[in-house]
Amino acid sequence: MKLSGQYSLPAPPAKVWALLTDPGRLAKLLPGCERLDPEGPDRFKAAVKFGIAAISGKYAGTLEFFEKKPPRSMRMRLSGKGLPGFVDGTGQVELAEKGGQTELRYSGEAQVGGMVAAVGQRMIEGAARKIVDEFFAAAAEELKKE
Amino acid sequence: MPAATRYLGKPLKRKEDPRLIQGLAHYVDDIVLPGLHHAAILRSPYAHAQIRSVDVSKAQSAPGVVLVLTGADLRGSIGAVPCAAQIPDMKAAPRPVLAHDRVRFVGEGVAVVVATDRYAARDAIDLIEVDYEPLTPVVDPEKALEKGSTVLYDGYKDNVAYRWELEGGDLKAAFKKADKVIKQRLVNQRLIPVAMETRGVVAEYKPGERQLTLWSSTQIPHLLRTQIASMLDVPEHSVRVITPEVGGGFGSKLNVYVEEALLGYLAMRLGKPVKWIETRRENMQGTTHGRDQIDDVEVAFKRDGTILGLRIHVIADLGAYYQLLTPLIPTLTGLMASGCYKIPAIRTEIIGVLTNKMSTDAYRGAGRPEATYLVERALDLVAAELKNDPADLRRKNFPKLEDFPYATPTGIIYDSANYPRSLDLALKMSDYKKLRQEQAKARKQGRCVGIGLSTYVEICAMGPSSAMPAGGWESATVRIEPSGMINILTGASPHGQGQETSFAQLGAEILGLEPDDVNVIHGDTSIVPYGIGTFGSRGTAVGGVAAYQSLMKLREKLAALAGFLLGEDPSKLVFADMKIFSKFQPKKSLAFGEVVAAAYSAKTLPPNMEPGLDATSFYEPKNFTFPFGAHVCVVEIDTETGDVRLIKYVAVDDCGNVLNPLLVEGQVHGGIVQAFGQAMLEEAVYDEQGQLITGELMDYAIPRASDMPWMETGRTVTPSPVNPLGVKGVGEAGTIGATPALANAVADALAPFGVRHVDMPFKRERIWKLMQKGSRRAK
Repeated sequence: MKLSGQYSLPAPPAKVWALLTDPGRLAKLLPGCERLDPEGPDRFKAAVKFGIAAISGKYAGTLEFFEKKPPRSMRMRLSGKGLPGFVDGTGQVELAEKGGQTELRYSGEAQVGGMVAAVGQRMIEGAARKIVDEFFAAAAEELKKE
Repeated sequence: MPAATRYLGKPLKRKEDPRLIQGLAHYVDDIVLPGLHHAAILRSPYAHAQIRSVDVSKAQSAPGVVLVLTGADLRGSIGAVPCAAQIPDMKAAPRPVLAHDRVRFVGEGVAVVVATDRYAARDAIDLIEVDYEPLTPVVDPEKALEKGSTVLYDGYKDNVAYRWELEGGDLKAAFKKADKVIKQRLVNQRLIPVAMETRGVVAEYKPGERQLTLWSSTQIPHLLRTQIASMLDVPEHSVRVITPEVGGGFGSKLNVYVEEALLGYLAMRLGKPVKWIETRRENMQGTTHGRDQIDDVEVAFKRDGTILGLRIHVIADLGAYYQLLTPLIPTLTGLMASGCYKIPAIRTEIIGVLTNKMSTDAYRGAGRPEATYLVERALDLVAAELKNDPADLRRKNFPKLEDFPYATPTGIIYDSANYPRSLDLALKMSDYKKLRQEQAKARKQGRCVGIGLSTYVEICAMGPSSAMPAGGWESATVRIEPSGMINILTGASPHGQGQETSFAQLGAEILGLEPDDVNVIHGDTSIVPYGIGTFGSRGTAVGGVAAYQSLMKLREKLAALAGFLLGEDPSKLVFADMKIFSKFQPKKSLAFGEVVAAAYSAKTLPPNMEPGLDATSFYEPKNFTFPFGAHVCVVEIDTETGDVRLIKYVAVDDCGNVLNPLLVEGQVHGGIVQAFGQAMLEEAVYDEQGQLITGELMDYAIPRASDMPWMETGRTVTPSPVNPLGVKGVGEAGTIGATPALANAVADALAPFGVRHVDMPFKRERIWKLMQKGSRRAK
């Protein structure tokens, strides 16, 4: 599965960067995220609830940030598994300033396996996109409040 | 086959159907034993991974759980899955009952849980934690052959399972002599058999008697017993396999599966009966798949349409492990590559490739549909190139009637045939000339109509033992019980073919009784003498002949006894209307039951005659049989959507003599529908990571009744000289003959768009794109 897109966020890159790297705030904004506990520098233990159609369940795993170039870009690695299957992915986020706002571009690639792949393959991409949309909409709201 | 018949050749309704229709049949899951436990299997979500560790502690302490075992726990306890196929220099790829160090396809078993109920077992599976180290999956068979590809097995330098070649005739000369050569790559996609009943096993062990009983949904109870005894290292006579009703197999139950051995082991270890019923998703992932070949074909021909030679290169995707016949199946493609044509030279080269997928194995037709598909597509490509009518081109290349028995350059001998006769009948039934006129008219109107033809021959009645991996004979015992009722015990364990009806017809005909007087028993190794099973269209042509021989032995004995009692020459006695009487003095007559009673009371037997009425035969066929036929179909493609509708189907099949035309027609119908599935809908798709993404019936499309038009079936009868019944077999004919007819029709429909060939399945998007491209080109 490949995913990419871009969003405009109503704050300068420094503020967006601060939000994206704050596990406490991320956890609140990420749909289905129940926990995001630091496990080391730039490494977090995550618990996420995620469902596609009838195949829903909890995933436990890790989220890692690396190649951080604040406030311009970073890469992330995500791996999780749960009853419905597993997800392994890497992604990249780039921030650019545009008139006091931030143009954010993201791209990522993930491997999905298990029941979720057998049953929900055709819906995974749509579901993932929905989560990303929800996350950035919530992030935009949060940034507006600041 | 007797000349005048009362029951043979008559369309008797199936004796099996009332119980099936009323839900009174017993399948494996209907078997309930006191204290029954249930097993569930944890399966790998990875196509290729190293197992670092498996933690079963939580599962072990879950409510209801009795036993949890991993692959490591079982190491050395149960033998690997047997493979009966032996190809020179073939690499080994044995499948362990549960993976212990490395998983090689999505769905491979890693651990098993036994619990007191099915739900507890299933729930406990989720509590097992496996630490996998993912490895690069090998998915595409062509990439698997590239240098630098990940290799499935340590110690092997590549993923080539074997290379196999078969050449007959002077191929070099053929290609030299040719006016033209056409090359085409044909993909015969991977299919999932999808039997209506998934697999299932119940195992019960009685420690006192040291008897293991295994109920399994299988096509081969006896072979299974032998193999299970070997895998579990127990004496064969302490294992009994019972095959209750089987809800379809199509070759996917012609196998020995890990679960069969595992359940036997668990029952013995626990001293409790254990049941496992495969879920549909497990079935799609872990029951053998079919087809999966990439065939590069070169056909050399003369300007007048004479085919001179075929060069075939096959890449056969075998999956990760060998099941019973995995490596053997593609070689049947090579054997049957001549089709029903006189092709002087043929060379087939096969590379069997190991990939991180479920094993392929027999699936209705097993290697022969692939052969027929490539030959029939090649013929149509030649016809299109020469602007010949495909029917004429076929006729031109048929062997002559006096050529039979016809020896192909692939080393087999076709027993008997009359190819022009079946083709003529199919053309007549379909009004072929008129179809072509209508097609021309439709094309003028901008409609997209295609006519497809296929003339096929297949190899059945498997087979002479010399050519089979595990014996090709079949057994039958006939017992006439003291009351005059007949039991036929057949080793050909049917699973939908209708032998309970056709063998009863045979018994009634030979002994002058009613079909209801004849009962057919099968699928219990403790009752039925050793047999091979039902597959390769052998039920009637091998199993039926064995039954015939035993019936004739008893008829002879009864005639001798009746002759003795009546004072008549036994050769002058007639068996009819439940009587045995003299042909010339009908008053010299005894009721059938009276003669039987005399055999059992044994008071007035002729000298040297043993009491009782029981005969067993092991029939060894001296050759395969080669049924054939001609199919014609019409498709229309919606130019807006690419939707292919099948609007007419005519099938003429010649399976030699017919015991019951209703059963034959049922087989032909089912075969055509299954072929339609391959042509139009079905495809097992693994993604780049080796995930089976057509893992449910939501994603794997199988045909529905509404997809099919009325199928017109016709028949010619060319008896086989191979067996005394003159029968050939028909179980797989439909899938063999129909797939190329459908493909040829679609290619014909798309010809105005400049399309020469399109690979199956003919999904709308694929067809639509080709039409768009073709339309643009035309503009």
